Amino acid sequence: MKKLLYAFLLVASASIFVVQAKAQVIVIANNSVKTSEVSKNDLKDVFTGASTSLGGANVVPILLKAGTAHEEFLQAYIGKNDTAYRAGWRSLVFSGQATMPKSLDGDAAVVEFVAHNAGTIGYIGKASAHEGVKILTVK
Amino acid sequence: MKRLLVGAMALALGAIPIAAQSLEDLNIQIHGYATQGFLYTTNNNILTTSSSDGSPAWTEAVVNVGAQPVPKLRVGVQARYYLLGNFGNAITLDWAQADYKVNDKIGVRFGKVKIPSNLFNEIQDIDPSYIWALLPQGFYTISNRNSLLSQYGGVAYGTLKLDKHLGKLDYRGWGGEQTIAADDGYWVSLREAGMNLPNGLSGPNFGGALHWKTPLTGLMIGGSDIRKPAWSSELTYGPLTGTMNTRPFSQWALFGIYEKNKIMVAGEYNKLNPPVTLNFPSASLVIPFPVDNRSWYGMASYKLTGKLTAGVYDSQMINHAVPLSPARDSMDWVVSGRYDFSQFLYAKAEQHFINGTANYYDANMNPGGLKPTTKLTILKVGVSF
Repeated sequence: MKKLLYAFLLVASASIFVVQAKAQVIVIANNSVKTSEVSKNDLKDVFTGASTSLGGANVVPILLKAGTAHEEFLQAYIGKNDTAYRAGWRSLVFSGQATMPKSLDGDAAVVEFVAHNAGTIGYIGKASAHEGVKILTVK
Repeated sequence: MKRLLVGAMALALGAIPIAAQSLEDLNIQIHGYATQGFLYTTNNNILTTSSSDGSPAWTEAVVNVGAQPVPKLRVGVQARYYLLGNFGNAITLDWAQADYKVNDKIGVRFGKVKIPSNLFNEIQDIDPSYIWALLPQGFYTISNRNSLLSQYGGVAYGTLKLDKHLGKLDYRGWGGEQTIAADDGYWVSLREAGMNLPNGLSGPNFGGALHWKTPLTGLMIGGSDIRKPAWSSELTYGPLTGTMNTRPFSQWALFGIYEKNKIMVAGEYNKLNPPVTLNFPSASLVIPFPVDNRSWYGMASYKLTGKLTAGVYDSQMINHAVPLSPARDSMDWVVSGRYDFSQFLYAKAEQHFINGTANYYDANMNPGGLKPTTKLTILKVGVSF
């Protein structure tokens, strides 16, 4: 049993060194969000419920329900697949620590919602139209 | 009949194609989950079930209703139907609270609130949250869960950003009143000895926890301390009436977890040493209730594919107040797997290798006495939305 455990840990530790591809998604925010850039860690904190602020102001994350941009965002900035990601949010909901963020169908719906709701932040495909919102640089 | 209705409800809930209903106009959300488990043991019957014959007596269903009327304020309530062997078979209130978060540095919640102690106390009852069918029982005893999970009172919480190279510090502080109900798993051995706590045991409960999110991404190290002032409650033993008394004590834990990409590694150490006596003044009788538990576990899991996760843990609990014997400790080697069919449906399979009888067992379901070792197989299916 101990040999099995050691082998398990050896294989698992290799996953720490996975190299991430450059994301084909952009992060957008309502124009009321003061900051123009966000760190990867702060972005992950907002989209995993660990934080509700950016640049000192309250922000609300908006998700895509599914799709390429959604999967790429999760891989690039969260490090989880959709099932694990939503399970993480449900942990917070069922323990009384958060409410589930809104999930929308498609980039256009996300842009429309973020443009008209103060404090919201979302993500869309790089090539998608994004009038009325600002782009946050992820550093 | 209740379990049939719960099972039917679980199937109906699981058929909803879209995630939780969202009543947008009122900003209300409804979530829920349901699980059905099956236990089989090679020797001893476990957790008051007839597990040596195979037992399906493990069912849960949870409904959660929450609203966020304004960005900083959340209100919510969560109710649960729970059955495990002879425990539960009733609908109980998990929590009901109002939560106001000023900013990341400070938030408060009041009502019936979850106690944010240890590594997994806040989520130990949320089966969809983790790979394990049973968390390490020396820490998260499923038969005591209803009493230890939450209390009436409040929690203050927040995150402090430390110096750029020192990470972040999450803090939690809580206070209120906790009740260990008369039918709680803690009192199984007392009831089997003919004693009864008609009102359970309750009293003030305070504590704090610190989680240091270190500069190494994914690594958190922390500790928690629960402080209980003196508690006392009526106790009966046949014709005698007395009290169960606890003197002030603290229950502290140290823990750490590392999560990155596909891997999770965690460990925890806990000491529980409540000074408890059973007092029967009319008979000039003072009986000590010896508990001096030192518990620890180490666990690891790895996401083999997008849907399949495997894990192992080793957990040990030793009651130093008990003489050397199988009843002094409980050692549990566990191999586990979880398959997520979708974000709504999952299944778990888990094998325990249990050595020692300090945990898990009761005399009534094991009239022939306890064997020192038992293998436990668990199969579980769950739906969540």
